[in-house]
Amino acid sequence: MKTPLPKRIWGWFARTGVGKSIFRVGLPQSNLERSQAMVSSFLLHVQPAKVNRHSLRASYSLGLGLISLYLFFILIGTGVLLMFYYVPSTTQAYDRMKDLQFVVSAGLVIRNMHRWAAHLMVLFVMLHMCRVFYTGAYKHPREFNWVIGVLLFLTTLGLSFTGYLLPWDQLAFWAITVGTNIAGYAPFIGPKLKFLMLGGNVVGQEALTRFYALHVIVLPAAAGLMVAVHLWRVRKDGGLSRPETVGGSVQTMPQGQLPTNKSYGLMELARGTTPQVGRDPDDEVFSWPHLIFRELLLFLLVIAFVLFLAVFWNAPLEEMANAIHPPNPAKAPWYFLGLQELVSYSAFWGGVVVPALLVTALALLPYLDRGRRGTGRWFARERAMANTIFSVCLAVAVALTIIGTVFRGPNWSWVVPWRTPPAITEGR
Amino acid sequence: MNDGSVRKFYGWFTALGLLVGVLVGLGYYRDEYRPWKDYQRQFIREEIRRAATPDQRLLAQNTPIQLQQIILPELNRVDRCTTCHLAVEDPSYGGFPQPLAYHPLHDQHPFDKFGCTICHRGQGRATTAAEAHGNVPHWDEPMLPLKFIQASCGQCHEASDNPAAPQLARGQELFETVGCRGCHKLDGVGGNIGPELDRVGARRSPDWLRQHFLEPSAVTPGSGMPPQKFSEPDIDAIVLFMLSQTGANLPGFYASMKVIPSVDEGRRLFQQKGCIGCHTVDGHGGKVGPVLDDVALRRKPEWMMQHFRDPQSVSPGSVMPRFGFTEAEARALTEFLLHLRDQKVALSIPSLMAPPDRGREVFRKYGCAGCHGPEGKGGVPNRNAKTAQQIPALTFVGDSYTKAELKKFILNGQRDIASLDPQLPPPPLYMPAWGSTIKDAETDDLVDYLFSLKPKGEDLGF
Repeated sequence: MKTPLPKRIWGWFARTGVGKSIFRVGLPQSNLERSQAMVSSFLLHVQPAKVNRHSLRASYSLGLGLISLYLFFILIGTGVLLMFYYVPSTTQAYDRMKDLQFVVSAGLVIRNMHRWAAHLMVLFVMLHMCRVFYTGAYKHPREFNWVIGVLLFLTTLGLSFTGYLLPWDQLAFWAITVGTNIAGYAPFIGPKLKFLMLGGNVVGQEALTRFYALHVIVLPAAAGLMVAVHLWRVRKDGGLSRPETVGGSVQTMPQGQLPTNKSYGLMELARGTTPQVGRDPDDEVFSWPHLIFRELLLFLLVIAFVLFLAVFWNAPLEEMANAIHPPNPAKAPWYFLGLQELVSYSAFWGGVVVPALLVTALALLPYLDRGRRGTGRWFARERAMANTIFSVCLAVAVALTIIGTVFRGPNWSWVVPWRTPPAITEGR
Repeated sequence: MNDGSVRKFYGWFTALGLLVGVLVGLGYYRDEYRPWKDYQRQFIREEIRRAATPDQRLLAQNTPIQLQQIILPELNRVDRCTTCHLAVEDPSYGGFPQPLAYHPLHDQHPFDKFGCTICHRGQGRATTAAEAHGNVPHWDEPMLPLKFIQASCGQCHEASDNPAAPQLARGQELFETVGCRGCHKLDGVGGNIGPELDRVGARRSPDWLRQHFLEPSAVTPGSGMPPQKFSEPDIDAIVLFMLSQTGANLPGFYASMKVIPSVDEGRRLFQQKGCIGCHTVDGHGGKVGPVLDDVALRRKPEWMMQHFRDPQSVSPGSVMPRFGFTEAEARALTEFLLHLRDQKVALSIPSLMAPPDRGREVFRKYGCAGCHGPEGKGGVPNRNAKTAQQIPALTFVGDSYTKAELKKFILNGQRDIASLDPQLPPPPLYMPAWGSTIKDAETDDLVDYLFSLKPKGEDLGF
């Protein structure tokens, strides 16, 4: 079969002196080189040299975690570009949005990409959590990685929420006003927390400065670090979760009874459980190219989708923020609208008790649900109870969010989206 | 295991790679293709067509296609209008179809100092016609129809002082005469029955305002404001004056234009600075300084100007303080003094008038006519009021009140107006309490004026 042109070019370059110095292993030709390609590359070595076939199945993981990671990359890339133009000042921020739209080359597309990727990331992190729940993938030994995942979910919400304020338009101003008001309902610490977030009692320059610092330094750094730990632990816990029948993902090795027929580095044996080292399952394939190709393909798909959204739909930008003209209704970002809907019934229960219980339950989940059965399969029958409870909570959350998003009009009254609500004459 | 099983991905890579390429290309095209470039090309073609010499032709051909913008840091504006409107400063484009038309009459308002949107409104930063002209959602400042352009003069200039803006002056005159202030506050003066008008020009569209004057309840359901009867030019004028009330606080240079040296401004300053405390005009005033009635005969304008800048420099030993007038203020005062021999000018200083005449000014200042009619003759409707569904006239007010009673009534107002039909909503208009707004001396003058309204020799017979 004829070798494709890009592969020939690559092969030629990798064999040159410069190519060798960069890639060490050229285009892998043998299994040894395929392993070396993964292990010797800084960028690739976080992944194993060989990977279980089960982990490659798109129908199992749906690629949701990876998609979230890619969206995070896109957000960092576009975010840095936006930082070149953005000024976190109440008098300039909005004008800068206009300049991005009208005079900065590709400014609008980049802002659109950032905006849509941000919404998508929140969505895909949620979906990823659902996947992990429904496949029981948080079970031993991955309990703490689930907790890190919950923290990453909260960080993602924080990133999106802090970014929401930065355009300094009406949408931003009132969404953050509503969002921080919800935080203010917490007993004892609520008002202090709100003050701490805003640097005052209302959204203003202080809030903008804080949200900016959180958005561009604190939260991305935290998220980046946690992503690293998250991935590292996936690796250390033996790759993606899989059913017991597909070759145990980890084996327990009694301390001090190491197999004598092979030599291992200490690092692999620092704990009682280790990745698959004692056996040599046929079920594994080389990461290069089987994993890498799939990952690259998915990356292209994600980029294409975000670009598609960004080219055809503009990110919203309303009037400049105006503290004396609240829109009616003022709505929080969509992922908080379920909360806002709850708050409309009871500020204390909806704004404090329910979210606090939810987050606590999520974080403690692997320590509450300690059965070891049903890992690595979608909707495992052994987990019918857990899945039902989770599904009900999820359905309620989705329903509340949908109600808050499309069925709530002026004064948070019930409206039907396909019928135009009575116009509020603002006089234009 | 060999590469075979990943070969199936090659097609996907190709397809997705191409898709990303196409999308990037599309994004680039949308970014690169901007309608304003077409307008610039049109301008260049026109310039080439007009070129008389090869040099001019070369110059026109080499005109770069690039964004134009006027940056106005003081106004916190960036106006990119000239990106499309390239010929605004070239008179040879007079009458040329937009966007390449010439902008007449801009000698006193050079574009690099004023830009465009400070007068025309719209969205200066935008570079597409719809966005720039501001007729898009989420932009509060659409372009002002040319018919109402004089409204913008009022941002920097006193309405009454600007000979170039007669409609604006007429609008203000109507506003004061009709008595809008009886119910509406403007610049902190006025009643509180209707909304404040300080920012009305930024909030309302011309169409809304027009509707509001002709049939208030059509745009504001339940409004108690009486429909106004204006002639067609007058309704445009009053709408225009309302549009000028944007509440914009213009900085520095622009704000200084508020004082156009004029007799009116001079009179205001003369009254405001209390010149009458030392100087006598028309037999009234202090005796410390010289009488000013015929000062125009004694002094030249240059002398007066210098005197306002520094009294000591032209009149050694003078006790008159240095007021620190701006040049414009000094010029306005000079204008006023030069015209002081004109009786009308002198008499229009409120402190020099007789109490009933001052009272008429008070009546006018607080917009009493808005509800009680011109000269208190009444005739203004008030739905469901027991008094024939009208606001009472004031012509015979002197017969029913003593001066002290009337004064007390004005200061305290009357919130509850008796209804004609108790089943219907109470009358929308009522007498506001003026105590917090009006000055004590003004009330006395007003009462004197109201008592003087009764026609001589007439009596109701009780």
